[in-house]
Amino acid sequence: MTSHYRTRRLAIAALTAVIVVGLAACSTTVPNTTLEPKTEFGRAIDDLWDTLLFWGTIVFILVETFLIYVVIRYRRREGQPAPRHVHGNTTLEIAWTLAPAVILAIIAVPTVKTIFVTQADAPQGSLTVEVIGHQWWWEFRYPQYGVVTANELYLPVGRTANFVLKTQDVLHSFWVPQLGGKRDLITNQTNYLWFTPESTYVWNGVCVEYCGTSHANMRFKTFVVPPDQFEAWTTHQKAGPVFMAAPATTAPAAGAPATQETQPAPQASAPPVQPQTAGSLPTFPAERLPVYAASYNPVPRNLSIGDVTGDPARGAQLYRTAPCIACHVVQGVSAGIVGPNLTHFGSRTSLGAGLFPNDARHVALWIKDSPAMKPGSKMPPFGKSPAMPAGYDDQQLADLAAYLLSLK
Amino acid sequence: MATTVAAPPRYAVPHTKYERGLWSWLATVDHKKIGQLYLYTALAFFLIGGLEALIIRQQLKGPNGTLVSAETYNQLFTMHGTTMIFLVIMPMGAAFFNYLIPLQIGARDVAFPRLNAFSYWVFLLGALFMNAGWLFGAAPDGGWFGYAPLTTRQFSPGLNIDFWLIGLQILGLSSLAAGFNFVTTIINLRAPGMHFMRMPIFTWMSFVTQFLLILAFPIITVAVTFLMLDRFFGTNFYTITAGADPLLWQHLFWLFGHPEVYILILPAFGLVSEVLPVFSRKPLFGYPVMVYSGILIGFLGFGVWAHHMFAVGMGPIADSVFGVTTMLIAIPTGVKIFNWLATMHGGSLRFTTPMLFAVGLIALFTIGGISGIMHSSPPADLQQTDTYFIVAHFHYVLFGGSMMGIFAGTYFFFPKITGRLMDERLGKIHFWLTFVGMNLTFFPMHFAGLNGMPRRIYQYQANQGWDLENLVSTWGAYILTLATLVFVWNFVKSRRSGAVAGRDPWGGATVEWSIPSPPPEYNYAVIPTITSRYPLWDAKSPELTADVPHTPEGEKRTDVSVGGKETHASFKGPSDTRMASEVAHPSAHELGIAMPTATIKPLLASIGLTVMFIGLILKNNANYQSLWLPIILSGVAFFVVSLYAWLLSPLEPEHH
Amino acid sequence: MTAIPHTTGHHYTTTGLDHRKIAIWAFIGSECLFFGSLISTYLIYKGRSVVGPFPHEAWTNPATGETFPPILDIPVTSASTFVLLMSSLFMVLAHASVVRGDRKYSKIWLAATALAGATFLGFQAFEFTSFVHEGLTPRTNLFGSSFFILTGFHGAHVTAGVIWLITLLFIDFKRGLRPADAINVDLCALYWHFVDVVWIAIFTLIYLIQ
Repeated sequence: MTSHYRTRRLAIAALTAVIVVGLAACSTTVPNTTLEPKTEFGRAIDDLWDTLLFWGTIVFILVETFLIYVVIRYRRREGQPAPRHVHGNTTLEIAWTLAPAVILAIIAVPTVKTIFVTQADAPQGSLTVEVIGHQWWWEFRYPQYGVVTANELYLPVGRTANFVLKTQDVLHSFWVPQLGGKRDLITNQTNYLWFTPESTYVWNGVCVEYCGTSHANMRFKTFVVPPDQFEAWTTHQKAGPVFMAAPATTAPAAGAPATQETQPAPQASAPPVQPQTAGSLPTFPAERLPVYAASYNPVPRNLSIGDVTGDPARGAQLYRTAPCIACHVVQGVSAGIVGPNLTHFGSRTSLGAGLFPNDARHVALWIKDSPAMKPGSKMPPFGKSPAMPAGYDDQQLADLAAYLLSLK
Repeated sequence: MATTVAAPPRYAVPHTKYERGLWSWLATVDHKKIGQLYLYTALAFFLIGGLEALIIRQQLKGPNGTLVSAETYNQLFTMHGTTMIFLVIMPMGAAFFNYLIPLQIGARDVAFPRLNAFSYWVFLLGALFMNAGWLFGAAPDGGWFGYAPLTTRQFSPGLNIDFWLIGLQILGLSSLAAGFNFVTTIINLRAPGMHFMRMPIFTWMSFVTQFLLILAFPIITVAVTFLMLDRFFGTNFYTITAGADPLLWQHLFWLFGHPEVYILILPAFGLVSEVLPVFSRKPLFGYPVMVYSGILIGFLGFGVWAHHMFAVGMGPIADSVFGVTTMLIAIPTGVKIFNWLATMHGGSLRFTTPMLFAVGLIALFTIGGISGIMHSSPPADLQQTDTYFIVAHFHYVLFGGSMMGIFAGTYFFFPKITGRLMDERLGKIHFWLTFVGMNLTFFPMHFAGLNGMPRRIYQYQANQGWDLENLVSTWGAYILTLATLVFVWNFVKSRRSGAVAGRDPWGGATVEWSIPSPPPEYNYAVIPTITSRYPLWDAKSPELTADVPHTPEGEKRTDVSVGGKETHASFKGPSDTRMASEVAHPSAHELGIAMPTATIKPLLASIGLTVMFIGLILKNNANYQSLWLPIILSGVAFFVVSLYAWLLSPLEPEHH
Repeated sequence: MTAIPHTTGHHYTTTGLDHRKIAIWAFIGSECLFFGSLISTYLIYKGRSVVGPFPHEAWTNPATGETFPPILDIPVTSASTFVLLMSSLFMVLAHASVVRGDRKYSKIWLAATALAGATFLGFQAFEFTSFVHEGLTPRTNLFGSSFFILTGFHGAHVTAGVIWLITLLFIDFKRGLRPADAINVDLCALYWHFVDVVWIAIFTLIYLIQ
């Protein structure tokens, strides 16, 4: 009889584990949850999910309860008569063929309906956003506004955004969990996805189709802003860079150990819903990012830079002849198209497709050795090293970083 | 009923070098030895694949893990998936096909014993080839699904994908050869009276699996051939600048890949369907429906492939069709679960280790099945695909389903294979550790996925709401590691010194339990005549099968004869607990049974085949520019010569 | 009832058919999926090539102004198709001769089948060479890749068949194929007819349908 009790103990233990994990999942912040949709697309999916979860739970409880009952009730006992010899029962078998069929029909009807609703053409007057996947960063184009940017997506609240999904190289997949389902970016094919954000906030986005070495490092942020701020943002993005010259130091932030990155302390309350504009800029200020949207990947231990202060004017001079111009656009300065557009680089909150804070130290390190900071990065290292004696020294790196960060 | 055969006079058996030691394994054509080779190889790869999983879990234990680099992590998850699917679960299935199918249908061997040996050697060499990448620091890193164009030379210039691609091609040849062999075996080597509807249910599920193998593998062969030609000879099947459609790979891959899922699960279903009736002391509930649902799953399995592609933008009509067909496949699967429950209902349940694992499969596969329904709905799948929710789902199917079934089968048939029982105490510890560890590892992944955690990421940032789930999963993985160690210890120890099992330790119903454990080379001295689905229960405890349909000759009982001495009258049930080696039974030679001659030729042919592919992988290496073609040609020549030598030599010694 | 007839295990089969007969049908079923995948790929890629030459339309290279005629030569391929079809007839005759025990005609028809197969391969070699001269290789475009690989794999199957036929012929010369050996010819015939049928599908779908 010992294993009898073992079964019970196990059942209780398993149930407790499920409940504990379940509660834990609900009680911590779940900034990327798929279950609190913020668009009509997300809600359509969520309604379907509720149906699926409901029927799934019922089937789960019925089957597992019956299993536990059978296991306890029919275990062999001493002196028990031989079991009845049932080899089948047609009525029963037809019944339990039909029952799942009925449940599946209940699921299938709203499924097909939702498929056709969510895959219809986007409504008239939608905002078109071209999403172009690259190994391993995101290019966002707003053809209606002539805006090109990277890794930070701005959407006006209440207006349908129609995403035109393409890729420059391998397959990727575009996903902002809180805003709805994903859609793959397929080579030699254009895909579409549309939804209407319903509240202003910052959401994390990720690539969810395995795309090579730094697949895990292909992230982006979605800023849903009020329409007037969006208009201001597009005007700002379309114009050339605002050169806001200010020296920038590569010293780590105060109080932070040199090797370990500062990690923002989790905030007890949710951050402000309305992003505040810093000065005249319509972009989202990095210091107000909610904790889950801040980027603070650790820098590899063997990569460092001295504490130097960069001069943006010197950096601007340097940039004009630097190899950077072959791959990057800075409106009015350079016209490369391989890497992300840098025209308003200084106004972005993160570096390397959502990996690092966009500050002077990280930018300088990035230029010094990008592949060390992001495995597989297509940007070669430019810092001085035994392998590359002609590379930039720390001062030059800091100057370039100061220049790029001044491009607001 | 003449049930005995006069034993011919004994005479000296000619000894060959193939009878003992290493040679006896290298040259074997005995399905039982080949089955064991598959079993041990698959177990070894289970440990390797498990180690890969453990490293993955350690890396993901907390945010920004730094145990391994991005490159290594990508190799680990690729090889974990590839290993567990192609080098563990499939060969575990093959181990049981090999060992059990001939025994269960009352045959002396498979239809093509030498082709069978060839299948194993090709499998082994393919598996080693696939893993050779580790030695060159270039293990495959394109995912087990190898999506083009990431896997084309343009985006993956290294050897990594070459190892994967060629390894997969070699493994495919092995599976195809085995498939033809077992289809023929089951159709053509059933003992007299073994009608299709009397076949043991494991053999039935294996039969369906063989059809899936021979129909699904040609498709992946074509897909892989295209990629191989692209990578080595510059064709354009997946070249994006030539206008290629990357979805061609996905369609071909999943046309193979979904039937492959059933290739992985149906043998486990079959094993569990053998275990449950024996330990419930009841015949399988609804045998015909179990058979038909297996066949139906096989058919529908070819019509649902695009449910792996709901996010690629196939359009609403294709999404709807594939969503609905996927839901349909849940019906026969559900029927199986209900029939298992009904088999246990009203029974007299004995919770031996195999029974625990069988019940574990029902409990856990149900969860995997339900989460499967959740992403059969395409819009819902858009939130789930490529997240940890999917990882949770298919681990409930493949670990909670296939592996639990395989463990049940291993504990159940271990005594038949080795003559010794596995330790029940350690077995139960193994089960409970596995059951708890498995749920702890994979259940939280549902939450991680719903909370937006993507798959195949080597690092994640803190504060994303994934920390706790990952920590719990990793602790679960530790428990699973412990469970596996217990299993390995039990396996090794029991093989050496486990309790002697005798021919029928469990009170089995099917004919393989009538012969000694381990069975003699020829299995059955006299091919048995089968009169019902449960011939042994007919003989030992007719009250158990009174209800089961018999044929007009239903009153007859199975003739069970080993060594030409015993009939069912002298058949000793559980009380006969002698090792087969302690019981003198005559050799095949003495009985005048012609058994296939051991030969090394299948091994030689498989080596020739592998050399061919080694030549190919050297093609793009500057150091071997002049050598690759000669190597390929010598491989071909070696293969062809071995093949002709094999085909033109007789299977059995000339007799009389 | 006696168990004696079954003690000579390997002679007994459930269906009464030779194992190999069942295996070859399983093999042919598998091959259907193999060629099905190849043909599907050709059809999916039909019209998707970025550059010429094309199967049924002329093409002018916009960069060089060079003009390429439609690449497929239907009259020549019709001739080779006819030869292959005839080979199936010879195969039937060869099998019948072996069943009859007609040692002379079995050799003649086996040789004729192998020769017809080899002739077909000759046509294919000619076709491939001329395509390459006209500027179409497996690397040129999607059409080139899918065409050469599909027909190339079919050619490889014909080659294997010819080798099989020659092996049978060799055995026939060495020790003679007796009526008891008919199964060996039968297996080869099944394979050969299958390869033939595949060619009819290829010829129709790739050459005739524009």
